[in-house]
Amino acid sequence: MKSTEDVNRVMEAYADMVRRICFVHLKNRHDTEDVFQNVYMKYLLYEGAFESIEHEKAWFARVTINACTDWLRALSRRKWVSLDALAEESAELDNPSKEVLETVLKLPEKYRDVIYLFYYEGYTAVEIARILGKKENTVYTWLSRAKEILRERLGGEWL
Amino acid sequence: MSSTQNGIRKSMKNIQATEAMKQNTLRYLEAQRTKRKHRIFRQKPYAALRYAMAVICVCIFAGAGGYSVYSRPVSYISIDVNPSIELAVNRFDRVVSVTGYNADGQDILQHVPLKNISYLQAIDRLLQDAYYSRFLNRDSQLVVTVVSEHSDAMLEQIQANDSFQALDALTYSSDTACMNEAHQHEMSFGKYRAFLELAQYDADITVEDCHGMSMGEIQNRIKTCQGHNGKNTTGGNPSKGHQNGHSKSHGHH
Repeated sequence: MKSTEDVNRVMEAYADMVRRICFVHLKNRHDTEDVFQNVYMKYLLYEGAFESIEHEKAWFARVTINACTDWLRALSRRKWVSLDALAEESAELDNPSKEVLETVLKLPEKYRDVIYLFYYEGYTAVEIARILGKKENTVYTWLSRAKEILRERLGGEWL
Repeated sequence: MSSTQNGIRKSMKNIQATEAMKQNTLRYLEAQRTKRKHRIFRQKPYAALRYAMAVICVCIFAGAGGYSVYSRPVSYISIDVNPSIELAVNRFDRVVSVTGYNADGQDILQHVPLKNISYLQAIDRLLQDAYYSRFLNRDSQLVVTVVSEHSDAMLEQIQANDSFQALDALTYSSDTACMNEAHQHEMSFGKYRAFLELAQYDADITVEDCHGMSMGEIQNRIKTCQGHNGKNTTGGNPSKGHQNGHSKSHGHH
């Protein structure tokens, strides 16, 4: 069982990332909080050791994505976020950003992951492939298609 | 930074874990940590309790088993002069119980502790005891009778005792059937063996008659019946042994 110090540290380090991954998968704050807690609970009980901070961060990303997928699968819920939740989260965003966010959230789930990890977290396709347990070429394909959808919906600047 | 990256970053910059979410989760984790510790603490005492119970049971059974083995007699020695005493001997050659079969025998046992020592020590202690020696005179006859699967070896060891040899004692082996019959008549099996031997020559003799006779008197009657005048010594005629029909009964020298 991880120490309280470790839990506090990873809370500060990865809470926002976990929150965002939850956001792109889950439709409401309640589900997000549950999965958020589940992810940290998995960390608390994780007996393995991390080779590096990068390894630890990738572990959180992978575990959060899996937790979201499991959560949705278990509840058989819609795999896109509701506009209410979106309104709640993006209240302070300007209109263009809100439009981007809404478009991203309407992407198929697998595209949402790669878009978030690639553009927001700055992971390479190789790293994303490792996190998602997919082939590198698959990630390239998903990224390409996701960008194409965004470009179609948001305009030519999304290239 | 590309415009795409910039746009997505900008769109998500407000998506953050709130302080409330972090604190709730930290409280939840601490609660889970405490609960799991308590669960472990609850489980461990049960495990410890189970372990302790198992150890106690093993100790009890081992102790009970050990005591049972120790206290279970496997051999019996009847020492008869006038006092009739029986020693019950365990597999470790220790005397685990003593019984006096007449008043003199019971009286001797009141004065001479014979339990929890080897049967050889017990016999030696008895023969060396001044109180017991009062019964060992020129008219008396010490007879030692053994019921055991190893009666021959036991008798050899008994006969090796100096005090025993000096008393010109007789030794016999008998069997449990004879011993049980003797006890039914409240008589030591050594004396009962002698009665059975005498009964072969004297059809009128009864167990009650023998109750009032010393071993010297019974042996003299036997010798008289056999046509002998003097005392037979240890190592005499094997036919002197128990001949009551029990398969294992036989004379020993």
